[in-house]
Amino acid sequence: MSTAQKKRPLSGVRVLDFGLLTAGANTSAMLADLGADVLKIESGAYLDPFRVVGKIDDNDGWWNRSPPFRFTNRNKRGLALNLKDPEGQRIIRELARECDVVVENFRRGVLDRAGLGYAQLSALNPRIVMAAISSQGDTGPERMNVSFGSTLDATSGIAALTGYEGEEPRISGMDVNYPDQIVSLFASGMVITAIMEARRTGKGCFLDFSQREVASFTLGEEILAASADPAHPQAPRGNREEGVAHQDTYRCRNGRWIAVTLTAADPEMEAFCMAHDRDTAVSALLARGITAAPCNDGADLLRDTALAGATLARDQQGELVKGLPYRLDGRGITIERPAPDLGQHTWEVLRDILGYDEGQLRRLAEAGVTSTMPSVGET
Amino acid sequence: MSATDVLPLGRFTLLEVNDRDVPLCLRLATSLAAKIAADLGADVLKIEPPGGDPVRRAPPSLPQGESALFQFLNTSKRSLVLDLATDTGRSTLVRLLDKADAALFEEPASIAALVRSRRATPIEIAAFPIEMNAALRPVSEFTILALGGLLHMVGEPERKPLRLGGHQASYAAGLTAFTGLTAVLAARDAGQMPPSVRVSLAEVMQWVNWKAASGAEASGASPGREGKRSEFQVVPCRDGHVAVVYTVTQWPATRALIGDRRLDDARFNTRAGRRQNIAELYAILTPWFANRTRAEIQKEAQARGVPFGPIFSPRELLATEQYVARGFLAEVAHPRLGRLRLPQLPVQWNGRSFAPRPAPELGLPELAA
Repeated sequence: MSTAQKKRPLSGVRVLDFGLLTAGANTSAMLADLGADVLKIESGAYLDPFRVVGKIDDNDGWWNRSPPFRFTNRNKRGLALNLKDPEGQRIIRELARECDVVVENFRRGVLDRAGLGYAQLSALNPRIVMAAISSQGDTGPERMNVSFGSTLDATSGIAALTGYEGEEPRISGMDVNYPDQIVSLFASGMVITAIMEARRTGKGCFLDFSQREVASFTLGEEILAASADPAHPQAPRGNREEGVAHQDTYRCRNGRWIAVTLTAADPEMEAFCMAHDRDTAVSALLARGITAAPCNDGADLLRDTALAGATLARDQQGELVKGLPYRLDGRGITIERPAPDLGQHTWEVLRDILGYDEGQLRRLAEAGVTSTMPSVGET
Repeated sequence: MSATDVLPLGRFTLLEVNDRDVPLCLRLATSLAAKIAADLGADVLKIEPPGGDPVRRAPPSLPQGESALFQFLNTSKRSLVLDLATDTGRSTLVRLLDKADAALFEEPASIAALVRSRRATPIEIAAFPIEMNAALRPVSEFTILALGGLLHMVGEPERKPLRLGGHQASYAAGLTAFTGLTAVLAARDAGQMPPSVRVSLAEVMQWVNWKAASGAEASGASPGREGKRSEFQVVPCRDGHVAVVYTVTQWPATRALIGDRRLDDARFNTRAGRRQNIAELYAILTPWFANRTRAEIQKEAQARGVPFGPIFSPRELLATEQYVARGFLAEVAHPRLGRLRLPQLPVQWNGRSFAPRPAPELGLPELAA
């Protein structure tokens, strides 16, 4: 039986997705993977920045070919509606009546100013759950602060504990932007919790996520230890870990690295690794019951289909996209639709969900309320 | 119970089954997922082996000698000691499984088959995907970070790869297991057959590190640690360090903020140009930071929409204005350990936070049920 035939945990749930980049867009992607119908809303004047930062060529339609956009937005339908146009705002309010969830990670205040904030939408649809994901949360003196990925490595405390021993702190960097990657793992679970409450009580809620808090939450024991003990160490520790006798990375003969965790320091480990190629070293250590693994890079991950069999997937066009972080009934996911082109499903959705006719749809396109092309110059 | 009745997961009963001899990195993931559910009101019963969950003795510790790690990971739960090697222990477990909605456990475990066969939906936490055929392979959180490709990303290119601070592999898996758990509860709630959930730390880390695979697929070259070659670097300032972070579109604002005319040089106009001339770029940027404090830098940068990140230690976060204003760091009154300060769930629900209750003390083994 295919997963499409079986009712899935979020079958029947519809999501209005204003999510951008990873933090927002991946939260709704995870809801889509569980069966929700996700309507991604962009506009010609404001694309998901992933379409721009992941640009691979300058030819016509470049905005539909970005790998990071494709990775993160599969299994969604895409609409382009101008949020600054009163007509675009009116259509979104109509759609909100037909949705269960709104996901957004705009800067605070953007949706409110467009008349699309939680107060306005919940007045139209009391069961709506709004997930607002922002750098610092919806309240507090820093609520308007901007951040980008590794800003939060710094401000959350993670960077302070990362780095070579005795040297300066480090961030995960622009190819990881670690704090952005973990928010959706928590936020989607909270949204599902709120959907259950809305089903039971008929009342939705406003979920206010601070990405910085999510990152600091992963240091709970460090914050607790520091609050109780002024002497608790707070500096980069290299690869050391309290409670672990010895662990470190070692360079192998072929220049690749391995990670080893030992029950006691082994002065010969460095020489052993330098005498073997990476994969031979790992196999030999594992055979001796020693905890070891290769420091994989992106190419290794692409090759290791046993490891990446569910976390990476292919869409119908054969393109690589994000898979699932977990297995449901032992399986990964089938990608039911590739990431949408800009505005690909605007007409389909407005016709099917709101009952718009051909004439209305044409007028909206002519007025620039809907679009399939960026109206601003690319950066 | 009226207090928990109004919490969103208040009507669900969950088991966290801690078997003996399980790698610590799996236990941390299971415990985090169950803790989140417990803070949200679920009735979570933690089954501990005789002698207790080894995390009770894991660092970092509080001055009283108790484990801060255990106190953080087990808030709002109840605990029951069961010897799952005995028939009595197992039959008690069966009775509990038949009353629960879902059960979280680490795999491989002696009780895996048992947990999979009862009323409670199983949520399994493992080190590796089944396809790796590595159930008995020795594992640590560190080697999981290596396998998922995260170590390869942090540090200087010519020096050793570095781990991120904290228990990132275990906790990312714990967050994933929490979301899997809610999917199970939502399916049960809707009268559907819930899916079983299996979370492996290795897959979660690979998933989190998707840009490595995406980058390698798109360009044929794997992204890796760039250290001092990166456009984002950490620089010293008067009272600590700041992470220099800005997007392509924020470069003009960044240039204006630093206000050094040498940055107007055309070489710095594009990302490619800045990367090619990175040492010169940082030679110009660094002095601006040296005589400013983190607070001054953050204020001036935010005023121009530039997302520089002042680096705070976990201790400094306790006094951070933003965290204080949002009440993010909760005070828990522990009956024996006194006042504990720890982060509460990083979400507010209609403006309300979820105050954690203290972690359970180790009880006596359940002789009979």
